[in-house]
Amino acid sequence: MDRNQIAKWFKEPSKMANKYSLHAIYFCTGCGIIEVPPVITARWDAERFGVIPVATPRQANLFLITGYVSVKTLKAIIRTYEQMYEPKYTVAFGSCPINGGMYWDSYNTIKHLDKYIPIDGWIAGCMPRPEAIFVAVTHLWTLIDKGMANGYERYKKYYRAYRRNQELALGKLEWPPLYPIGEHTEGGECD
Amino acid sequence: MVGRILQFILYPLVALAIGVFFLGLARKITARIQWRYGPPLVQPVIDMIRLFYQKSVSHGPVFAVGLIMSLAGSIVVVLFLPFGSICPLSGSGGLLVVLYVMLLAPMGIALSGGQGANPNISIGISRKLILALGYEVPFLLVLLTVMTHYNTISIVQVVEAQRDIGWSIASLPLFLSGVSYLLILPAMLGFRPFDVSTAPQEISSGPLVEYGGKYLLMATIEHALLLFIDIALFVNLFLGGAGNPIIFFVKMLIVFVLVLFIHAAFPRLRIEQAIRYLWKWPTALALAGLIIVTIGRS
Repeated sequence: MDRNQIAKWFKEPSKMANKYSLHAIYFCTGCGIIEVPPVITARWDAERFGVIPVATPRQANLFLITGYVSVKTLKAIIRTYEQMYEPKYTVAFGSCPINGGMYWDSYNTIKHLDKYIPIDGWIAGCMPRPEAIFVAVTHLWTLIDKGMANGYERYKKYYRAYRRNQELALGKLEWPPLYPIGEHTEGGECD
Repeated sequence: MVGRILQFILYPLVALAIGVFFLGLARKITARIQWRYGPPLVQPVIDMIRLFYQKSVSHGPVFAVGLIMSLAGSIVVVLFLPFGSICPLSGSGGLLVVLYVMLLAPMGIALSGGQGANPNISIGISRKLILALGYEVPFLLVLLTVMTHYNTISIVQVVEAQRDIGWSIASLPLFLSGVSYLLILPAMLGFRPFDVSTAPQEISSGPLVEYGGKYLLMATIEHALLLFIDIALFVNLFLGGAGNPIIFFVKMLIVFVLVLFIHAAFPRLRIEQAIRYLWKWPTALALAGLIIVTIGRS
């Protein structure tokens, strides 16, 4: 911990604590799982910065999605994201969640993950080096400092649109809406 | 009178501070043994601040009540343990009270987990209670041996008796019991190789799986107090307590670092392996110690 930041700790304890205690839940959908162990073990040791993996979404506040997202996995990703407690941050790792990557013409993968859940940070590359996770974390720190890592607020604000996109991809969702969405969306009024 | 009230308020806070320091030290030392740099020592405090500000969802009234019950039980046990010269509630029957109230902590967690209705919680709770069954047998034998040897059920009197004749663990009749307590200490603290109930990779950290935000904060505080209780009891009964809190803290630190080395070096046992171990060596040693003490008295 930096001594220069003690004043900031007293001013905004919640923001500072969120920065330096990112408990990550890893969603390793296809590739990308092999980049995570060097980061959390002796080679690069992410625990120096307070980033540790946890086993359940209830305890986590950083959601790391690595690799391509198939339609079937999207369902699990949405459910995991909705189980996390606010404030929560999302980082998509690899080019496939950004624009489909090498699966750009696949019938069974999601091309733009941002349409379904809000993403706070992207790491481009196929695959990115493990150090890229630190780049993402430091970038997330700046975003949290400036109040720009507000994906969970966007999710709440535009939940109707997100829910509509999710239903377009997955068909009828078998879980109730996380936030109230009004009576309009029920009958498939959206074009 | 004011001093006594101050002791009641400050002593649990001191115990909590020591427990949280131990949590940070555990992460740092484990990291250094694994050739990592490790988090800063205050990392558990940062985590706790983060958990305090995080939103959380309750799964029903018992979900919170169980946690509060286990926390209250832990604080009461702390008040009964002498910490150097500070002993707010150690009347005549300290050891028996400690023995009973210590069970409140796992029971409260089990009660709270029942409301969580997650299959991982059920598995974790059943493993925790089976493990408790494993270490309670040698633990009770050890406490019985100490009570028989010193002919008292007060922890303060046990500490005073050791001031005259030296540490219990260094004296012959109680040596086996002390070793037995040391052998079951990792199981009581939930450290490796006995962290079956909170195994993150197998059952998603078991009873803690539904806790987040302030609930996880309470569970962390409860764990920190548990670290303090079990180690302080060992120091009081076998390492002669201490005249002042600082020496007591140093003794606790040595015992904790010893347990930590085992934690960092050993892999996790399965539950039936853990029970087999706990009912074999520590129980045999504790039983032998009890027999020696009983024969020596008659």
